[in-house]
Amino acid sequence: MKTWTAPALAIVLASTVALPAAAADLVLYDALDFAATVAKAFTARTGITVDVVEPGSTGETLGKIAAEGSNPQFDIVWLDGSAVFERMLEDGVVQPIPAAALTGVAFNALGKSLMPANGAFFVTGASTTAIEVNTKKVPEADWPTSWADLARFKGAVAAKDPNLSGPAYQWLAGFFQTNGVDAGKLLLKATLTDPAFSGLSSGGKINKAILTGDAKVGINQDSSIIAKMAKGEPVVAIYPKEGSVALPEGLGISVNTGHMDAAMKFIAFIASPEGQAAQKDGDDTDFFYIPVFEGVAAKTGRRTDIPFITLDDKVAAANEAAWKQWYRDTFVQ
Amino acid sequence: MTPSSSNADSSAAGAFPAARGPWRWQGQALAGLPVYAAFLLLVGLPLLTVLGQSVMPALFDPRHPDAAFDPSPLLRAVGTPRIAISILHSLELGAVVALAATALGATFAIMTARFALPFRRLIAPVPWFVFLMPSYLKALAWVLLMSPGGYLAQLGLVGPGLTHGFFSLGGLVFVHTLGLFPLPAFITGAALAGIGPELEDAARLAGLPRWRIWAGVMLPLLAPALALSLIATFAEVLSDFGLAATIAHQSHFGLLTYGIYIAASDYPTDFPMAGAQALILLTMILIVVFADRALRRQSEARLISGRSRAAPAPEAGGAWRWPVAAVALAIAGLALWLPLAAIIARAATATLGGGLAVANLTFGNLSDTLDRGAPANAALLRSLGYAGLSAGVAAGTALILAARIDRAGRSLRAAVLGLSLGAVAIPGIVLAFGYILVWNRLPLFQNWPFPHYGQGSLLVTGYVAAALPYCLIVILSAIQQLSPSLTEAARLHGHGPAARLVRIVLPLVLLAVLTAFLLTFIRTIFELPISQLLIPVTGSPVPPFVVKLFNHDEDGLAAALSLVSMAVAGGAAGLIWLALRPRLTFGTRGRVA
Repeated sequence: MKTWTAPALAIVLASTVALPAAAADLVLYDALDFAATVAKAFTARTGITVDVVEPGSTGETLGKIAAEGSNPQFDIVWLDGSAVFERMLEDGVVQPIPAAALTGVAFNALGKSLMPANGAFFVTGASTTAIEVNTKKVPEADWPTSWADLARFKGAVAAKDPNLSGPAYQWLAGFFQTNGVDAGKLLLKATLTDPAFSGLSSGGKINKAILTGDAKVGINQDSSIIAKMAKGEPVVAIYPKEGSVALPEGLGISVNTGHMDAAMKFIAFIASPEGQAAQKDGDDTDFFYIPVFEGVAAKTGRRTDIPFITLDDKVAAANEAAWKQWYRDTFVQ
Repeated sequence: MTPSSSNADSSAAGAFPAARGPWRWQGQALAGLPVYAAFLLLVGLPLLTVLGQSVMPALFDPRHPDAAFDPSPLLRAVGTPRIAISILHSLELGAVVALAATALGATFAIMTARFALPFRRLIAPVPWFVFLMPSYLKALAWVLLMSPGGYLAQLGLVGPGLTHGFFSLGGLVFVHTLGLFPLPAFITGAALAGIGPELEDAARLAGLPRWRIWAGVMLPLLAPALALSLIATFAEVLSDFGLAATIAHQSHFGLLTYGIYIAASDYPTDFPMAGAQALILLTMILIVVFADRALRRQSEARLISGRSRAAPAPEAGGAWRWPVAAVALAIAGLALWLPLAAIIARAATATLGGGLAVANLTFGNLSDTLDRGAPANAALLRSLGYAGLSAGVAAGTALILAARIDRAGRSLRAAVLGLSLGAVAIPGIVLAFGYILVWNRLPLFQNWPFPHYGQGSLLVTGYVAAALPYCLIVILSAIQQLSPSLTEAARLHGHGPAARLVRIVLPLVLLAVLTAFLLTFIRTIFELPISQLLIPVTGSPVPPFVVKLFNHDEDGLAAALSLVSMAVAGGAAGLIWLALRPRLTFGTRGRVA
């Protein structure tokens, strides 16, 4: 065998040398537009390098974590939604945020209300789900004012698949909480009658369906609608009269992380003015978040006085797999 | 052993001297060991874990692992309407595209082989470019063209009815047919080249009109090639992930390959269901592969005989050449130039809705792709590195393994070729899912330092596993043509096996090695399913990055990145070819004595 050693060794050596550098100080899994911007600013400030892994949607990020099982590769994960973090805490995927990380962090009233008592995640911002209406297709007198009103637009209502979208699952869980599970399912079946619009993958697809497609109204993350409004598109965000479930942007820490110090520094950076400036330094959906720290203003055009209702995260987390599966089987081809 | 039998053995064993006497079988087994080990580790084990999930669903249960046989995932797969529909969709799409692409490909092959077409230089290479263009890119280009606010609608060439109808089975068939027609064109073209003029001459002398010659003589002769085209195209559609993840998903036309992806990578993950769908997909593909093999054996004896003459050159004149050229140009336009134009247009504009207005033109997308440090540029550089490395490792490993196999003898060669052909048929999405299972669920592999899950090393391993079978086929075919006397002479001069491989064999089969390298290089840059499932923590390669950009309405940047990737990959491949061309002492034609 020794005669083959030279070429074989050459190949292995070439592989080792030519592969990109090994993982950085911190591995971040995320599905948020601003994560890479914030990570870049964090590295510039601290010198701690961050590998930003964006598998795609929130569902794909959660799927990647689930696929890794007891072999997780991330140190920190940054996503929309509180129920998903509750479930990951129960499954032993993330660990409670250490109390030391909260020391000196000045949350505003919303931040205090959204920061979970069990420390499943560190809240970094918020948004919610609203009704998106194309103002050119629907006269103001006909605008829906509640989720139940959407049945009037059946066949022309665009919605995201909660299996792919974190915000969409938060909304679905809140919708069931407000309307009851059985009644909520009936209401959705009466509303989402066109499969072409009921399982879209992102807020961008909802916007596209409403702006250039056949959909007239949609169920969309409000920051996605506001980002379009900021660009002058003919859409408006309507908050339903029964109240909206707040959608926290949360940062969780892996139970297996070997970089707790770096993770703590990352959390501290997010809560700092510099971190908040980086989190707003863009025009995409997630940059239009509602700040949760004292003294931080939202981006221009972002409404913050929204009447929120509180989601029962434990119920939402316990039913996550079953409700997502029901949605997939009922509305997604 | 007589001298004559010794020569025969040497000849059978190819370029490297075979073991003789009672040690021969032992030698063959030893020679085959690295090959079998490579296949077992790279392909067999991942495949086994995937298929194992379908009948042992609790095998990797984190709390209560259990290897008990339980076919419930399979029953659940066929009993769940969504998945049952995706199986039917895959079969329906495969059957319709196989028929349409074979008809189009055969027509194109006949047009280019039998007519002296004007603009031949524009037409003839089109199938090769289309063949090398990744399916997800063709799909995304047609989305740009056929969306309600897309380029064709802006130009008034298609109405709302057609744009909406496009996102359905009809649109998928259209895009798939244009993307896959090169395969039947290659197969039918090869068959046409093998049919000499004597049969046509005889039919013409018998007074048959031209259409009767084609219907009564040529068509039956081409029937096996057409059947092979149908089978190959059908298998390609079944295993395709590019269209399944883009235009089919957008059209809500569920397909099996995307179902596997969703079950394996989207929360809540359902590995047993992914395994069950993979088993169903593999069964369907294996049926067509076996049919292909059976038919290929028959067809080889039917079309070419020892007395065949060269196929007739295209007739220079003829009233039909201009209309035929127009049809060929139309096919070329729809299959290549139009999608390419859409990608170029989108890369050079700010918004899709703004069309080609001067105010909408921008270099922003291209500069974001070319700027060092920009995410798109980083993805491109990563992909180039991964592709170059994978191509080098796959071609190098295939060369070493092929030399060993060639030395071992005919039976091992046949076994390895069979294994390689089988491995080529495994869809990338199934292989990648297997890698996730092996590296995250099997204890030994979880902490395996190299390759390691989440690192580029495992992604490159996946690329190499996908490429190794066809690299082996290409290089083994070339090595088998070398006379054993060449390496025998080198051995007598005191050169060891490694020196004989590098100094004698490699220069003589450099064309095959280069072909394997370049094929792997280009395929890897645009490989989607393995890239998507095994994204390293250091960053995404080009294909998943492009798909993600399209899904987030950043199609301008996605188009620019695709365009630059194609240009760079083609340029790099061309430069490598030009650099090594002078060293191509011998091609793969004929046996070097």
